[in-house]
Amino acid sequence: MDEEYDVIVLGTGLTECILSGIMSVNGKKVLHMDRNPYYGGESSSITPLEELYKRFQLLEGPPESMGRGRDWNVDLIPKFLMANGQLVKMLLYTEVTRYLDFKVVEGSFVYKGGKIYKVPSTETEALASNLMGMFEKRRFRKFLVFVANFDENDPKTFEGVDPQTTSMRDVYRKFDLGQDVIDFTGHALALYRTDDYLDQPCLETINRIKLYSESLARYGKSPYLYPLYGLGELPQGFARLSAIYGGTYMLNKPVDDIIMENGKVVGVKSEGEVARCKQLICDPSYIPDRVRKAGQVIRIICILSHPIKNTNDANSCQIIIPQNQVNRKSDIYVCMISYAHNVAAQGKYIAIASTTVETTDPEKEVEPALELLEPIDQKFVAISDLYEPIDDGCESQVFCSCSYDATTHFETTCNDIKDIYKRMAGMAFDFENMKRKQNDVFGEAEQ
Amino acid sequence: MASATDSRYGQKESSDQNFDYMFKILIIGNSSVGKTSFLFRYADDSFTPAFVSTVGIDFKVKTIYRNDKRIKLQIWDTAGQERYRTITTAYYRGAMGFILMYDITNEESFNAVQDWSTQIKTYSWDNAQVLLVGNKCDMEDERVVSSERGRQLADHLGFEFFEASAKDNINVKQTFERLVDVICEKMSESLDTADPAVTGAKQGPQLSDQQVPPHQDCAC
Repeated sequence: MDEEYDVIVLGTGLTECILSGIMSVNGKKVLHMDRNPYYGGESSSITPLEELYKRFQLLEGPPESMGRGRDWNVDLIPKFLMANGQLVKMLLYTEVTRYLDFKVVEGSFVYKGGKIYKVPSTETEALASNLMGMFEKRRFRKFLVFVANFDENDPKTFEGVDPQTTSMRDVYRKFDLGQDVIDFTGHALALYRTDDYLDQPCLETINRIKLYSESLARYGKSPYLYPLYGLGELPQGFARLSAIYGGTYMLNKPVDDIIMENGKVVGVKSEGEVARCKQLICDPSYIPDRVRKAGQVIRIICILSHPIKNTNDANSCQIIIPQNQVNRKSDIYVCMISYAHNVAAQGKYIAIASTTVETTDPEKEVEPALELLEPIDQKFVAISDLYEPIDDGCESQVFCSCSYDATTHFETTCNDIKDIYKRMAGMAFDFENMKRKQNDVFGEAEQ
Repeated sequence: MASATDSRYGQKESSDQNFDYMFKILIIGNSSVGKTSFLFRYADDSFTPAFVSTVGIDFKVKTIYRNDKRIKLQIWDTAGQERYRTITTAYYRGAMGFILMYDITNEESFNAVQDWSTQIKTYSWDNAQVLLVGNKCDMEDERVVSSERGRQLADHLGFEFFEASAKDNINVKQTFERLVDVICEKMSESLDTADPAVTGAKQGPQLSDQQVPPHQDCAC
């Protein structure tokens, strides 16, 4: 490692691995290190199951009923990919799809009055849903047609709404939508975690609803995808991409010091050696004195031996509990996957309930979600601080990612990646930048 | 896991269903034992003597005929991630066969075989087949690992054994063909529980960047 690199990356979480891949593909000399002996950091999938028990200090270990430990790959941070979202685009442009297999998540549900309902997002589904009364359905359908046709470049589709100034609250009023419909539209379709969006210009919300509908249109059952063997496969796929383009990988590598000269990073010291660099990318855990706390998330991993009730025995699903329904400021999410995704032993399900912490008793905050999951074979409770960088790195050339937030998809992660790229390269991110620059599949493909 | 239908081979691939089976094969072992040379010799019948650390190869494709079946081999390189033992666990997914390689002129590479074998057993599926190969058998003068020791270790680990030379083209084709045969034998034993990977069928949906036309629902 005693060398000079363009970029050193610390931590092998998804954000770091995607950036590492982009940098290597673009000809940068990259050294990528992680203090852990495994890939992924917070975005790894823990295997075997014994490791998960150890991690949560459950010293007795898994009982025999959990089956073979190595059949498990348990995510620490629950997320799904939006089928039409930015991460899928990144996977396609980089062709990291070569290394992964996906399954469509079987259902998307929303909580209302203690029960769960399938999220209606097409006009047909809206009319069939028992979430709304007859007249409400008609109004909601009209609203969906308006959103589907809305094109920010074509004022003819605006119907009197100004995308930059009309608030979403006014758009709902225009279509005369009731509180329940507003709740699931904002939280289960636009995937907002709080109600702050209501007084913002409506364009962002309309685009989010379009993302949901277009993602749903891809594969039908839900707008979400999940990779076989767990989310930990994602950073590994991008790490391989980086390695193919010359990136050097070192795991189990303690970082002793980040060396700065005149306020600018010049290298990283590890086990007595110094690797020099022009730029540094890292997750918040590598520079604790250069980040600030931006909230807390509670995530409870639950192992079940049954599918969740009223989900039509789905082997995977998402349930959104809008904040209004349970008198909170932020939504509670449940992401459920199972043995069908090679993440659990035969017949087992993993549901992760999560939310942004609002009180001093976070476990109690998640109770409405846990009630939907009972009986629960085993719970693993994690309360994590969220960090964000203090400085944008333009001076120091130290570019720190944000912690993975409470959202159940990767859109905010992708925004962070694009933003870091922009600050590092001094120009706007373009998906074209991610394309492989040379042929790396040989043999009959050449003929 | 690889698939028959994704877009990695460009235009041609969408129409290229001309095989009965697809096997993902991995070559594994210490740095500079000759994995990439071995791969090039087999797939292209070429050899470059200068040592160049592997950069820029994802995998190579070669179709062979076995018992009237067209078998597409997808042979994956380590992308240099063996150097610091940072091969991803994802790399092992869906591999049907392994060529575990050491260099007969390098004791250390031979001592590492046990470790690599443990990696394979930990991360690959139970039916994956492994062949142990001692490469560079053309360099008899510099040999430090005798054939006998190689054979003993292979017996101990339960693998078949070859000595080979990518440079002089000794036993390269034979190694791959034997591996394919053992995979086929194993497959016919467990045909009832055939893994979709064997037939090259992608399990999930194909990701694509094409816009799907919006739902044209009609209320009437």
